[in-house]
Amino acid sequence: MGELILQVNHLSKKFGVNEVLRDIDFTVQKGDVISIIGASGSGKSTLLRCINLLESATSGEILYHGANVLRRGVSPAEYRAKVGMVFQSFNLFNNMSVLENCVVGQVKVLRRDRETARAHAMEYLERVGMAPFINARPRQISGGQKQRVAIARAMAMDPEVLLFDEPTSALDPEMVGEVLTVMRDLARSGMTMLVVTHEMAFARDVSSRVVYMNGGVICEQGTPEEVFANPQRQETRDFLARFRG
Amino acid sequence: MNKFAQLGADIAKLWGKYGGAYVSGMRNTLVLALIGTLIGCLIGFICGILNTIPYTKNDHPVKIFVLRLVRVIIRIYVEVFRGTPMVLQAVFLYYGLPYFTDNAVRFTSIWLAAILVVSINTGAYMAESVRGGIISVDPGQTEGAMAIGMTHVQTMVNVILPQALRNIMPQIGNNFIINVKDTSVMFIIGFPEFFSAHRASVGASYLYFPSATVEMVGYLTMTLLASFLLRWMEKKMDGSSSYELVQTDQLVMTAGTYSYPDNRTPFDERNPEAVKSMLREELRRQAEQDEALRQGAVVELRRGGQAGDRKGER
Repeated sequence: MGELILQVNHLSKKFGVNEVLRDIDFTVQKGDVISIIGASGSGKSTLLRCINLLESATSGEILYHGANVLRRGVSPAEYRAKVGMVFQSFNLFNNMSVLENCVVGQVKVLRRDRETARAHAMEYLERVGMAPFINARPRQISGGQKQRVAIARAMAMDPEVLLFDEPTSALDPEMVGEVLTVMRDLARSGMTMLVVTHEMAFARDVSSRVVYMNGGVICEQGTPEEVFANPQRQETRDFLARFRG
Repeated sequence: MNKFAQLGADIAKLWGKYGGAYVSGMRNTLVLALIGTLIGCLIGFICGILNTIPYTKNDHPVKIFVLRLVRVIIRIYVEVFRGTPMVLQAVFLYYGLPYFTDNAVRFTSIWLAAILVVSINTGAYMAESVRGGIISVDPGQTEGAMAIGMTHVQTMVNVILPQALRNIMPQIGNNFIINVKDTSVMFIIGFPEFFSAHRASVGASYLYFPSATVEMVGYLTMTLLASFLLRWMEKKMDGSSSYELVQTDQLVMTAGTYSYPDNRTPFDERNPEAVKSMLREELRRQAEQDEALRQGAVVELRRGGQAGDRKGER
């Protein structure tokens, strides 16, 4: 097993009286590709957003290389620079070109000089096949292309972990493939990834571990073979059966 | 018809006598409106930005207190200056300062007084517009910026404010046009704007209607011009509606990494036919895989003694 990067201990999250996450425990090691599956409203996205501090957890701790990032005094910005995130709705900066989207973070946050940042951004834009579109604005390209740019933008920051929040859910079916191909490629290159997804084929083929969430708790986790072929819990079986319908 | 001829003659007479006053009045009006709007926008942006600094319950109590205090102060400022007529604000400030300081402090320059009043008044309106402009930017933009490690200030400067500025451009234009017209109340403190030229000329000539005609045409010319200019600026800000595909990218060539890596991949932009067939192949392969998984899972479930009810569902 690789080096321990993230450790989530007893994490809970309440929206008012609504308990969305209950006592979540899990770890992310270097090189892991973890798929988080489960029905809508089971807390998958909230968990991911808590890990990236976009939501503040109600209780529990998140250890990043052993240090709790929920402590007061820890700068969320510094931590987030190392934990990238790709959103369902892309969230590319509308006021910038494709290239500028991938450069701005490197220049402003990592203090790289503009030329280095450009070259670095181009490297990833090429890898996701968006190099010809560097002058386009986000509103001028398709959803699948936007998501590929968003992945390049996150990768250009050289994050240690990359979080994907349902990256293909907002895409037309014919665009899902291009984004999944990029993600497969990333996983193969050894990137540590945490993917909330409804793409069961992706979870099964690409991930090293699958986490099934239900009602705000981790119901079952294990290798894809364990979870897909031989689920232990009735809830998991019901969920998978519904999916294959 | 001879009424029109009369009007023409009167206007010519007015223009001959007071033309200089009208022209300099127009110039002063435009300069005052422009500077007032610009400083007003600055005030508005500062207020709007201060107003939207986020805080959570976990923040330091002092920070929360200060932020709340700032919000209250801005609220009071906005309500007072939005809720009273500018003509009164001018009188209030221009005569208020000497009154309270026994003439120790007073406005030495009528320009300073006029700009101050117009700026403060515009600022009160702009504060709300900017707040609205910032709120109207998709929250996803903030999340996207946060997720790559930007601080609140970096997010604001690089992502939110440029978009908010574009969103409130029509509001800024509105305010500018309103200021062109409403600076006419500044005659009350003796500022030599366009409308004061009317008051001066009719005081001597009694040609009320001809002078008003000159004023109407003058104001309309200024506002129409402003309208066109603003539209043009908005178009500029929107940028080109098309973009160039970079086929042989010099930037990448010089970086020494370009090797047409998309060749024969699904992202090959140069060979769309090959891409199509490849995508078809990929889709077919995935469908096969899914089918295989389904079969496999059914077999597994059967082995587990659950086959009966699963099958029933199907």
